[in-house]
Order: sequence, then C-alpha cells, then structure tokens
Amino acid sequence: MSKDVVITGMGVITSIGQSIEEFKFSLKQGKCGINYLSQNYVPQISVKIGAEIHGLSFESALNNYRSGINDEIIAKALSIGKRSTLPIQGSIISAIESWKSAELFEKAIPGERIGLIVCGHNTTNHYRYNLYEKFSKDPEYLSPRYALQYLDTDQIGTLSCVLDIHGDGSLAGGASASGNVGIIKGLQLIRSGEVDACLVAGVLADLSPMELQGYYNIGAMTGGKYSNNPTLACRPFDEEHEGFVYGQASGCLVLESSESAKKRGIPVLARLLGGAIVLDGNNLSNPNEQGEIRAMSLALKKSGINFDEIDYINAHGTSSPLGDKTELIAIREVFKEHSQNIWINSTKGLTGHCLYSAGLIEAIAVILQMQEQFIHPNKNLLNPIDTSFRFCGSELQQTEIKTALSNSFGFGGINTCLILKKE
Amino acid sequence: MIEKKAIFSTLKGNVIEILPDINPEDIQIEKKLKDLGANSIDRMEIVNKTMEDLQLKVPLVRLGMAENMQGLVDILYNEILTKE
Repeated sequence: MSKDVVITGMGVITSIGQSIEEFKFSLKQGKCGINYLSQNYVPQISVKIGAEIHGLSFESALNNYRSGINDEIIAKALSIGKRSTLPIQGSIISAIESWKSAELFEKAIPGERIGLIVCGHNTTNHYRYNLYEKFSKDPEYLSPRYALQYLDTDQIGTLSCVLDIHGDGSLAGGASASGNVGIIKGLQLIRSGEVDACLVAGVLADLSPMELQGYYNIGAMTGGKYSNNPTLACRPFDEEHEGFVYGQASGCLVLESSESAKKRGIPVLARLLGGAIVLDGNNLSNPNEQGEIRAMSLALKKSGINFDEIDYINAHGTSSPLGDKTELIAIREVFKEHSQNIWINSTKGLTGHCLYSAGLIEAIAVILQMQEQFIHPNKNLLNPIDTSFRFCGSELQQTEIKTALSNSFGFGGINTCLILKKE
Repeated sequence: MIEKKAIFSTLKGNVIEILPDINPEDIQIEKKLKDLGANSIDRMEIVNKTMEDLQLKVPLVRLGMAENMQGLVDILYNEILTKE
C-alpha cells in the first residue's frame, strides 16, 4: 500500500504578491503582474514586457517571518543570501514561508528524513551574462564565488543549509514543466519511504536578454498587437492570444506523508493524489496532443479517480495559439462530454509564464482556490477560441472545487499532469 | 609608491564589505582572516577583490601561503615593487 501524500506548507514570491496572503488576494482580483520590463538592455531586444518582481527587500521579507523562528535561522539565511542572486533570495524567502506554514520550525522532523527537490535548470544565465563584460577584460578578477554561484545546485546547498535538510536532494529539470516534474519526484520520494517530508522549490527564472530574445526568435513569446498594452498581452484561450509573456516567481511546497502530518498534528492544505510525466520523443518546441492526453490519462489512472470526478483544470494555457488549441483538444479527448462541466482557467494570465516555477505557482493557486471556493478570473479571456468549454473569464466564480488537475508542458516534449484533492 | 599601510586599508575595506557584521576595530593586521569569521570562499573573495583594487594579478596559491593579514600585505607589497 503506497503512502498517502499531503501538502502541508506553501510559500510564494510573485509579481502579484510576495506572500501566500498577497497572492491569494491578487488571484481573487484577477490582478495582472505584467508591465514593461524595468531594464533597458544594450543592445536593445525585441521583448519589452514581462511580469517582474518589484520592490523585494530580502532583509525585510525575512523579518516578516521572524516571529516564532529561532534568530539563528534568520541570521543564517541573511548571511547566506544577502549577497546572492534574486533566484536564490526568492527561494530562501518562499522556502521559509512554506516551512513556517508547515509548522516545521516548531514541530520539526529530523533533517535526515526530509528531502529537497529544486525545480529548474539554467537558472544562473542572467548572473553569468552580467559578469561577462568584466570577465572579458580581466578573467583573473572573476569572483571566486562564481564557481559556486553559477551552478544550479547552489540552490540545493543554500536551502539545505538554511533549513537543515539532510535527506535525499537533487534538481528536477523539465523546461516549463520543471515545477510539476519536481512535485512528482517529491511525491515519489515520500511514497518510496526515502523521506517523510520533502521541500519542493521552484526557482525563479531570471532570464538574461539572450534567453528573452531566444524565446522571441523561436516564435513562442508575444510581441505583436498588445506590446504597448502590457496588461492585455497575456490572453490564454482568447482569440487574440499571440504567445507567452515572461514571468518571475519563486514558489515552494512542503509535501509530507499523511502519517507524518498526522503525527505532528498539523493541518493538511490539500492531498496530492498523483501525477504523471510522459515524453513525446520530440526535441522541438511544439506541443503534442497525444502526449498531453497520455499525461492527463495516466495521472488520473495513477490517482485512482475517474475523469468525471475532476471539477477544475488549472491549464498550462500559456497564451500561445498552437499550445492553447492543442491543450483544449487533449482535454476534450480525455474528459469527453464532461469537459463542458469542468471550470478552466490559466494562472499564467496573471503571473505570466514563470517557466521553472510555473508548476509550483499553479499548484499553489489550485490549493488557494480549493480552500476559498473560487475560480480566479482571466480578465483578458473575452472571446474564447472554443465556446464549448467552461472558462472562467472576466469575473471570479464562487464554486467548490473537490478534485483538480494541473497541467505543465515543456519544450522537448515533456508533458506533466498533477491531481490535487481538497482536504 | 604605495605604502603597506594603504594596502592594509584596502584589504580592511574588503573584509568589511564581505563580512558586514564585523566590528572594524577587530580587523588587526596580525590576525588571520579565518579568525575574523571568514569562511574559505569569503577569504578567496576578499583577497581577489583586494588584488582587483590594487590592479595586481598574483596567483592565488602564492597568496594562500600567507600566515595572516600581515603576510598578505607583504606579498602584495612585494608584487607591486616587482611590477615597478
């Protein structure tokens, strides 16, 4: 009998909220975090808009969580993170928020029984890009810290050091599906008995201008009609969708075996019934409906539920014309007639596409909507590409969600799907 | 011609930058960076930054042979003499 896995903690830093409370408030408002990019790059690039995090102070964010936490832990986090990069600082803050919500500071689990999965890869490109000019003049003056900080695994070292995690730990990579890949790997670690709890951390994708231009050049990123109207540019499933908009976010979940949560006597936020990762066998960027169908069907099967039990889908829905269309075809194939009863929205319409952390941000959005019985609006969804689905458009919908599905698909034919159940 | 005092002052400035919680009065030339609370990466960074400020390029292995901050200052000072 495999172990039941529950979610006991969550933390976020996004463009529309720098804590779970703020994020929940913005979801209800349907607030969009997309604006003009704050930096003027030299040379200029074609990408002008994104959902960036503004006004984040590492020190004051940590101070907000100080109560009930040993001063030494906050001091350690400050000391390690203060001269680090935005992706590291974001991970530390959201990890501490998730740790606190899981009551792991007071009702601790031995560090050897806790795992760590860091979701993302190529997370230091902007840091490296910024160093290159100086390096090209005087390589000798490259900071010795570079050899640690350029590695994605700096996230593992940092988070395990701050939170005293000593069990199994690794990176989970899956392009835009990295977050869901990591959640599924965390689920597997707990089910296998390797650990009792696992921190799953979605890394903020701090893209350099080179990656931004690359996504634009491959035709995935929007840049047409709404370039001069940033809040209208991300329109998942709307007739005028033109491609994805870059978003920044860090998001963390604490996964735990049901037994462990019970033993610690802490509230369960949601149940993680199961998930699936399937590959298309494709090295390109195009979506594949068969892969998406297989991911959703397998996730349902592994979770032991029927398709008609799903009442909400947090879609991958990037606002890409081909991606949005393909996902709807796949949903109809899996859910048949029932697809018209399922509420569908896309959190990316609010946060932009947070790439490596998207799966985490969207799982957190699912849990918040379950807890507070609402479906967040997608204000730009005015003319759906297919009117036979039950989209949440410009107005919030009050409804109870019992069982939800969250999709994430990544370049290279990586299809993932999670199933979450209300506690 | 730069004096050893100025080299130490540059070094001290970088110690404060890398270890912001330190009391500047504790930074005495006869002390080791390790004893000031600098971990292995902090030490490398302090030395590297000092070399950059002084526009010197001394192999880090040579600087690693210094016993304490006085030793570092001596090596950097000799390097400047050789350069000139």
